[in-house]
Amino acid sequence: MTETALVTDRGTDHALSVPRATVRHGTVTLVDVADLRIAPGRPLTIVGESGSGKSVLAHALMGTLPPELVAEGSMAIGPARFDLADRSGRRHLWGRELALLPQEPGLSLDPTMRVRAQVAEGARGWRPRDRAALRLADERLDHVGLAGSGAAYPHTLSGGMAQRVAYAAATIGGARILVVDEPSKGLDPASLDRLADLLAGHVADGGLLLTITHDLRLARRLGGEVLVMRDASVVEGGPADRVLTAPRHAYTERLVAAEPSRWRHAWTSPPTADRTAEPLVSARGISKSYGDHVLFRDLSLDIRAGERWAFTGPSGAGKTTLGNAVVGLASLDAGSVARHPATRGGRVQKLYQDPTSSFPRRVPLEGPLRDVLRRHGAGEDRLRSLLAHVGLPPEILRRRPGQVSGGELQRIAVVRAMLARPVLVFADEATSRLDLATQETTMDLLMTEVTGTGCALLLVTHDPALAAAVTEHRIELGQA
Amino acid sequence: MTTPLLEAAATVDGARRRRPLTRVVALGGLLALAVFAVIGPLMLPDPAAQDLSRYLEAPTLAEPLGRDDYGRSVLARLAHAARLSLVLAAGCVATALVLGTTAGVVSAWLGGWVDALLRAVSEAFVAIPALLVVLLVSALGSGGIWALYLGLALAQWVEYFRVVRARTGLVLGSPAVEAARLLRLGPVHVVRRHLWPDLRQLLTTLASLGMVTSILAMSTLGFVKVGLQPPRAELGLMITDSFPFYDIAPWLALAPVTVLFLLTVCFLGLRTSEDPS
Repeated sequence: MTETALVTDRGTDHALSVPRATVRHGTVTLVDVADLRIAPGRPLTIVGESGSGKSVLAHALMGTLPPELVAEGSMAIGPARFDLADRSGRRHLWGRELALLPQEPGLSLDPTMRVRAQVAEGARGWRPRDRAALRLADERLDHVGLAGSGAAYPHTLSGGMAQRVAYAAATIGGARILVVDEPSKGLDPASLDRLADLLAGHVADGGLLLTITHDLRLARRLGGEVLVMRDASVVEGGPADRVLTAPRHAYTERLVAAEPSRWRHAWTSPPTADRTAEPLVSARGISKSYGDHVLFRDLSLDIRAGERWAFTGPSGAGKTTLGNAVVGLASLDAGSVARHPATRGGRVQKLYQDPTSSFPRRVPLEGPLRDVLRRHGAGEDRLRSLLAHVGLPPEILRRRPGQVSGGELQRIAVVRAMLARPVLVFADEATSRLDLATQETTMDLLMTEVTGTGCALLLVTHDPALAAAVTEHRIELGQA
Repeated sequence: MTTPLLEAAATVDGARRRRPLTRVVALGGLLALAVFAVIGPLMLPDPAAQDLSRYLEAPTLAEPLGRDDYGRSVLARLAHAARLSLVLAAGCVATALVLGTTAGVVSAWLGGWVDALLRAVSEAFVAIPALLVVLLVSALGSGGIWALYLGLALAQWVEYFRVVRARTGLVLGSPAVEAARLLRLGPVHVVRRHLWPDLRQLLTTLASLGMVTSILAMSTLGFVKVGLQPPRAELGLMITDSFPFYDIAPWLALAPVTVLFLLTVCFLGLRTSEDPS
């Protein structure tokens, strides 16, 4: 009892609370939440699918919304009150009190500056060539485990390292309140674990943490409070271990069930592939390295019709290169890959990590898809039935790739691949940028098509849970 | 994927509205100039007809721009000069565009020795200043129209070649084209759906800039008396010829300068800004 009272006491001094916050774009409400509260030692994580308004909420609290979006409401940090509609009122807090760790840190770092100088810029009282700030930057980089990378340029860092540099840059000013926006995008589990450790450290030091994510594993790891957002409002909230294990709201249940480890689909049981059939692709003793960096050496594999293969490993381990080599898109240093005649004539298809870049970007989707119909002799009705199957209206094809959401476009990519009646589909991190619910829908559609047509699947992913849920053969790279 | 934040911002169509107004005005101005250049020479008197008794006559209702030092109608000369400038510039730009674009696409597509050869040729052209190329060719052709046309086209194709080659390389290396290749869609699909939509805007911008360059280069050469020769009506020549009379007959110099200015501004206004999508 007394302990609780103590915590509450301390909380009112330093906690961040938002009695009410709304964000509108024209007549559309993007965010409408009430009674948010972040106390020291108790991180708040907001989960939900893309478009639920969670990132918009984070930016509304920071005061970094684009001018078209209108925010209303108020926020209190300890005794100080702020009006959310006032954009400039919180600017003096940035870096000192309030810091944002942005999405895709690789893009938010200055490519022309060395890491150390870039991190140092955020230090209090920074001046050009400030020795004290540079020393502090070294300390911070050491703290995030990048002591040796101070002189590196951002493009030489991996996604996980860039994320940690961005973390060092965001926190060097001593900000107590840290807002983290979708940190898991494109990170492999090992890098994500490291980041989660840093965030947990921030909380342990008495900091306030607000994390926006669609990754439930991260939410579980951070603990504290979890809010589930959907269509601009909060549907459920409470302690992380309760919400994410025994959800009360139907939507949260769906979200939790969308984790690959909990998938239950007709296709999750491994198919009975004919082990004696002639392999579609047969690789013998293949090797590839970039300079001194060996991706794989003397590797052999046979992929037969109906089999499901996964290539897993951390980023940069060469999974995609191996996949490309197997389907004939990359050259090899040694070894040979033999492909069955059945794979000729466009019967090997690939799904890309970023579907937007896999369609011609300036024309409506319709034209290129008609070209596929014509080339592969598929009828209009086949396109319509496939689209209906993936739950998309035919009208969506009048839009350009940039005007369709990532999940929808990836489903159109599945349709496009299926129009060619493939015998082998290579899915290169095809769902790693999608949120959990969209990932499950997309994967379900792909796998239903794949099992329905008896085609083989090659899945490249950094998510071991996804690989385990979908495939029965696995090659793990980059363990050394 | 795009963040919801950006998706929401992208639906605002305010930014899309601004561009067309400039383009409509520019297009209207160009159309008016073109009509003047096409109809003018048919309706107006012979631009070379001299009447020394009407030496430097001031503008009147019947002769809105007055007469020059040989008593020739300035309006008629202006119409002929505008026609010459537009037709010759369009010819040069069309030639340079077709030549440069074809070479650029072929170079990026085939690569290897074809690419090396075309690049070497283009670099040889870059090494010589553009005006020098025009001067060399037009000096060889002793001031004829064909020499000027050839010179201007040769000076400009490199620009199209380099830009198109760079952009084509990017497009052909994109996952979208890789996907098209896996689907065995063939080169027609790649050109029609990937390359052409991507190059179209770029080429429109380059071509409108090219028109300006050609028109200005032509009048510059006329101005320094190495381009077209008198008595042909040409904007640059008209400006030089009117210089001795700037104090007593300022309309003589003002008329070609205004036409040159309007042509330049209208072509510049025609450019489309790169669509970021």
